[in-house]
Amino acid sequence: MDARNFTYMFYGFLAAWLILAAYVAALAGRERRIRRQLDALKRLLEDKEKERR
Amino acid sequence: MRGKTLIVLCGLAAALLARNLYVMLLELPDEVSQGPIFRIIFFHVPAAWTAFLGFLAAAGGSLLYLLHKELRYDAFAVAVTEVGLAFAAANLATGMIWARIIWGIWWTWDPRLTSMLVCCVLYAGYLALRHAVEEPSQRARAAAVVSILACVDVPIVFFSIRWWRTQHPQPVVWGGGSMDPAYWKMLFLNWIPLLLLGAVMAALRTRQEGWQREIEALRRRAHAL
Amino acid sequence: MTAPAGGSLLESVRPRQALRPAGFWRSALTVALKDLRAELRTKQALNASLAFSVVILLLFSFAFDPTAEETRALAGGLLWLVFAFAGALIWNRSFARELPNDCLDGLLAAPISGAALYAGKAAANWLLLMAVELAGLAAFGVFYNAAWTSRFWPLLGVLALGTWAVTVVGTLFSALTVNLRLRELMLPLLVYPLLIPALLAAIQLTGPLAVGQAASAEAMLWLRLLGAFDIIFTALALGLVEAVLVS
Repeated sequence: MDARNFTYMFYGFLAAWLILAAYVAALAGRERRIRRQLDALKRLLEDKEKERR
Repeated sequence: MRGKTLIVLCGLAAALLARNLYVMLLELPDEVSQGPIFRIIFFHVPAAWTAFLGFLAAAGGSLLYLLHKELRYDAFAVAVTEVGLAFAAANLATGMIWARIIWGIWWTWDPRLTSMLVCCVLYAGYLALRHAVEEPSQRARAAAVVSILACVDVPIVFFSIRWWRTQHPQPVVWGGGSMDPAYWKMLFLNWIPLLLLGAVMAALRTRQEGWQREIEALRRRAHAL
Repeated sequence: MTAPAGGSLLESVRPRQALRPAGFWRSALTVALKDLRAELRTKQALNASLAFSVVILLLFSFAFDPTAEETRALAGGLLWLVFAFAGALIWNRSFARELPNDCLDGLLAAPISGAALYAGKAAANWLLLMAVELAGLAAFGVFYNAAWTSRFWPLLGVLALGTWAVTVVGTLFSALTVNLRLRELMLPLLVYPLLIPALLAAIQLTGPLAVGQAASAEAMLWLRLLGAFDIIFTALALGLVEAVLVS
């Protein structure tokens, strides 16, 4: 019983941290996507303004 | 919050967490009736506190948005809601693992676990609503209303389920009440790193919302040209 | 232009009855009567709701074939789940009915407060759902041999309070989701979790009454919870509805 008790305690810790890590990973992925979109749009606008001149 | 502040906060959280883990695993004695598994409480309970704080802050942000109509309040609201939901999920997972060892069942209609589950469903609905509305100010308004209603509902849900459960007693995940003062101290000490991490995540997410709005503004300009 | 006898020149060019906004109660009553009249003419939502309630009650009696004891245990939950789902059909129509021909824009431009518009629609929805519930209760009595007639008045009181609770939230979200593509999905998804405390209280109160027994010992507790829910959410809804209705 005691060994199982200990194992489950670690599973519990692991579960909590995995969930938080998953959210952080989602945040990081979203950040990369947004930065890419932002840079692409900024470049697009620069090109369009150069064309107008 | 600026990048350097965020890194400092992360470092602080990590350091405190490391220190807590050391004390938790090597110095604190086992709990008498439950054994080592009881240590799960040091993440289970502070995660719940952080989640509720997040939902309360979201309601505050939503109210501010409805009063001032500035989208940064809406950005804050969605950020703390998402972070709160992550901590709520962590609370549910640790609660289920705890119940499995102590009671042999994965789920118990314990008032706190059940209320947390209802909370998760409520705020998942909030996020689903945000995906369903495209126009930013419309989305912010609808989401703000749902956030405020959900926040007011949470304590009512908790009390109603607790009364319901007194009629049909079920295993309770953590009774609370009397606990060794060393345990109480560790409980609060472990809340701090979780709060810090939550704040960092919310700050990052709020910043992302700001960039999203910048993208929309740039898109409009690109279309105009 | 000559002034009419006994009146000033100004009165001849300005209508005597100025466009003075009607009071809250009068506006709400007008909206409620309009909605009831519209619904009673087509009976779309009403028929759907009624049919749904009766069919589900029938299906449950086949699915579980409950004994008298089991019926006593199931009654509250069964009835309120049926009422909650039937209610969704009514709330959905409530604001969706105003979409064709820009009727909703017309209503929003009218000189009535958003709260009055909402209150009128909520009152109409409440009456419609009460009608469906009474019919459902009759069907329940027949299919499940439940002799609730001795407890009719307390039962009616509980139904009234519970129906107001679900209608208040349902109507608010009907307004909120009216312009969404996935309206029929989002409305129940958002409303039911919020309603859990009210449904719980209503179920606990209705259970014994629906099979003709006296209310349980904890009835006062649940009644207070239901009453508090009604008051809190009515106040919140009236306060927040302006934010929802600005489109």
